[in-house]
Amino acid sequence: MSNDPKEPLLLDHNYDGIQELDNNLPRWWVWLFYITIIYAAVYLVYFHVTHTGNLSAAEYDQEMKVGNEIKAAAMGKFESSIPTLTPSTNAVVLDSGRQTYAKFCAPCHRADGGGLVGPNLTDSYWIHGSNFTDNVTVIWNGVPAKGMITWKKVLKPDEICSVASYIYTLRGAKLATPGKPPENQTPVNNGPSQFE
Amino acid sequence: MGLTTSKEYAELEWPIKIAIAIVWVAFAVNLFGTIVKRREKHMYVAIWFYIATVVTVAVLHITNSMTMPAGWFKSYSMYAGVQDALVQWWYGHNAVAFFLTTPYLGLMYYFLPKAANRPIFSYRLSIIHFWALIFLYIWAGPHHLLYTALPDWAQSLGMVFSLMLIAPSWGGMLNGLLTLRGVWDKVRQDPVLKFMVVAVTAYGMATLEGPVMAIKTVNSLSHYTDWTIAHAHGGALGWNGFLTFSMLYYLFPRLYKTNLWSTKLANYHFWLGLLGMMFYIIPIYVAGITEGLMWKQFNKDGFLQYPNFLETIIQVVPMFRLRAIGGMLYILGVLMMAYNLYRTAKAGKFESDTEAQAAPLEKTPAVAHGKLSWHRMLEGKPMFFTVLAIVSILVGGLVEIIPMFLVRENVPTIASVHPYTPLEVLGRDIYIREGCLGCHSQMIRPFRSETERYGEYSKAGEFIYDHPFLWGSERKGPDLAREGGKYPAAWHYNHMDDPRSVSPGSIMPRYSWLLTQNLETDTLPWKLSALRRIGVPYPAGYENGPAQKDLQEQAEKVVADLKLGGVNTDPNKEIIALIGYLQRLGTDIKSAPVTTAAK
Ligand code: HEC
Repeated sequence: MSNDPKEPLLLDHNYDGIQELDNNLPRWWVWLFYITIIYAAVYLVYFHVTHTGNLSAAEYDQEMKVGNEIKAAAMGKFESSIPTLTPSTNAVVLDSGRQTYAKFCAPCHRADGGGLVGPNLTDSYWIHGSNFTDNVTVIWNGVPAKGMITWKKVLKPDEICSVASYIYTLRGAKLATPGKPPENQTPVNNGPSQFE
Repeated sequence: MGLTTSKEYAELEWPIKIAIAIVWVAFAVNLFGTIVKRREKHMYVAIWFYIATVVTVAVLHITNSMTMPAGWFKSYSMYAGVQDALVQWWYGHNAVAFFLTTPYLGLMYYFLPKAANRPIFSYRLSIIHFWALIFLYIWAGPHHLLYTALPDWAQSLGMVFSLMLIAPSWGGMLNGLLTLRGVWDKVRQDPVLKFMVVAVTAYGMATLEGPVMAIKTVNSLSHYTDWTIAHAHGGALGWNGFLTFSMLYYLFPRLYKTNLWSTKLANYHFWLGLLGMMFYIIPIYVAGITEGLMWKQFNKDGFLQYPNFLETIIQVVPMFRLRAIGGMLYILGVLMMAYNLYRTAKAGKFESDTEAQAAPLEKTPAVAHGKLSWHRMLEGKPMFFTVLAIVSILVGGLVEIIPMFLVRENVPTIASVHPYTPLEVLGRDIYIREGCLGCHSQMIRPFRSETERYGEYSKAGEFIYDHPFLWGSERKGPDLAREGGKYPAAWHYNHMDDPRSVSPGSIMPRYSWLLTQNLETDTLPWKLSALRRIGVPYPAGYENGPAQKDLQEQAEKVVADLKLGGVNTDPNKEIIALIGYLQRLGTDIKSAPVTTAAK
């Protein structure tokens, strides 16, 4: 049936009227196929025969090393800047501090700061010092032996600053129900609260 | 209803699975019977694709459906964890390939030359792309499991075989598009061809995109995001949808011996469908990439930029709205088509029997074209052809699956991993029943962005009692692989009752019925013995008495935990089992060091 001069490549196939040509494979297509096959071979050899490439676990360790260095540097920088910090009065910062407090601190220090497992944060008695920077230090490092969590593992430095600034505003707050009484803490001059 | 095995594209419970297998076999008998009996000597390329479809789907369905029944509508996958995941995605990937790709290619090979009235561009290309496609496709399944606890070698195979699939897939597209050489003016007028061109092009795009997503680097971003969903829908709406429309527009006028009622309406359908597709797909691409980037974003100090998962998902909610609009446009187009076809049918008269003409028994031997005539001969031997096709599709699966079961190194043991307790088993079944894994993965991948967010990455050995595996394939909510102990029991209680009460703005639905429904414990013995039969080491007789006692004790403990958080409830509620399960998740390896994964 291949008698049509315009279709020299027509095969003598006929299925329900469908015919087929016998064109060559497009060259670029053939190359595309070859290239992917070669790539596959090289890839498998590189990772699984010569073990030149890093597989997931090694890749992860590498990523962790780099990431943790960056993080450690940032944390070190923050740590050394703690003595110079001052409480923020910015409304946005205080609001985010309030949210952090409600989520992470209220279970131990009570929603209003009156104290439960953790000490009262509204009175004038402080175990670890009354300065703002003392508070930041305690939150940053925690007191694991006494049940205060080491928050630097959970919160970012700026979150710690904002939650510290927030509890600073709680100082001297009038509580609806009495707060936890001070234990063997020493009273200190608190410095003014925002509400005084 | 919650009857589900939780395995994607294979959710149906076992009685239905058996029914499917029977129907499929009946279909296969019919198909092969016809092929063997008919007088046409050679099989056209469309038939090759149908044969591949029938045999492969049978193999896939049966292998992946191996479950241990535990009652009429409940069963546990025979395979566990990593192995279950591999089998599932070997199945899942190829079910798409051999249910939505190969049969449609067969259809294209018939309808496209018919509608265009042109000979197929290249018979050789048909041969090469057919065999390459069915051989290579099977290997690519693990690309759904890149950077999971699946061993690296299997991941690598999944990736490179996906890349090698580009050319064979494009062979189909090229053979389609090049067949239209010389009739492009017709394409501009005929809606049948228009739909077909878009379908074939969509096929080409999807089969390029798929391999790109299988590149590990790309996948590290795209996996678990809406990108995957966009990819799947591009294929389904474009390739499968549009090819179906085109066939219907082709068939109806011929069946009813008349002209299409309105070509204009068909053209409107075309543009509306295209527009709908754009509105559907583009927003979820944007959503997917946004999610991927936000999950991975670190700030300059090495902390996650968006540590709160909720922030990332709220960002993309507007995209889901656009997607819904796109879907509606697409459906509107389908309705227009239905009306058009209805009017066409009414205008014409159904031709119930066309004069059948048996093909003459040809005698011509297959010699004409020298080097490829061996294939010509093969086309005359359907059974032999089928055997070859089966062999080609089995190789990839066997090479990947068998070592995963036999070589212990693939799943390094972790001594501290224990079977689920009775309460946890029931809780896990509730997790499956409620479809939690549709939105929550349980697979922390080895990236710093994931381990900072969720905890230590998941290890193969942690899943050896997971029948079925619940790694999930999408995250609309955070990963839960290490959920255990992250929140107090009462938090979970309130969260399931109303997610917004503890997590403002959450898009998770409420599951408040879990708080009131009683836990069904009668089936527990069936469940535990089914699990034991497939390898979970519960001691003999455990299910009969001790199990119920353990269940009660653990339930009481959860109730006590809830009381600490101010919640009072009974120990026989479903929520108790679910909380028991959630609090267990991922905690096994917290208690002991892990044997390092074998390289
Ligand atoms: C698990 C319970 C617990 C949580 C949660 C907790 N704390 Fe504490 N916190 C304590 C305990 C206990 C102490 C007392 C430590 C001591 O005795 O040295 C304490 C002490 C403190 C102090 C020092 C008080 C003083 O008198 O010097 C500050 C400030 C503080 N916490 C702030 C916070 C903030 C901010 C958060 C939330 C980010 C928080 N805590 C969360 C238990 C907790």
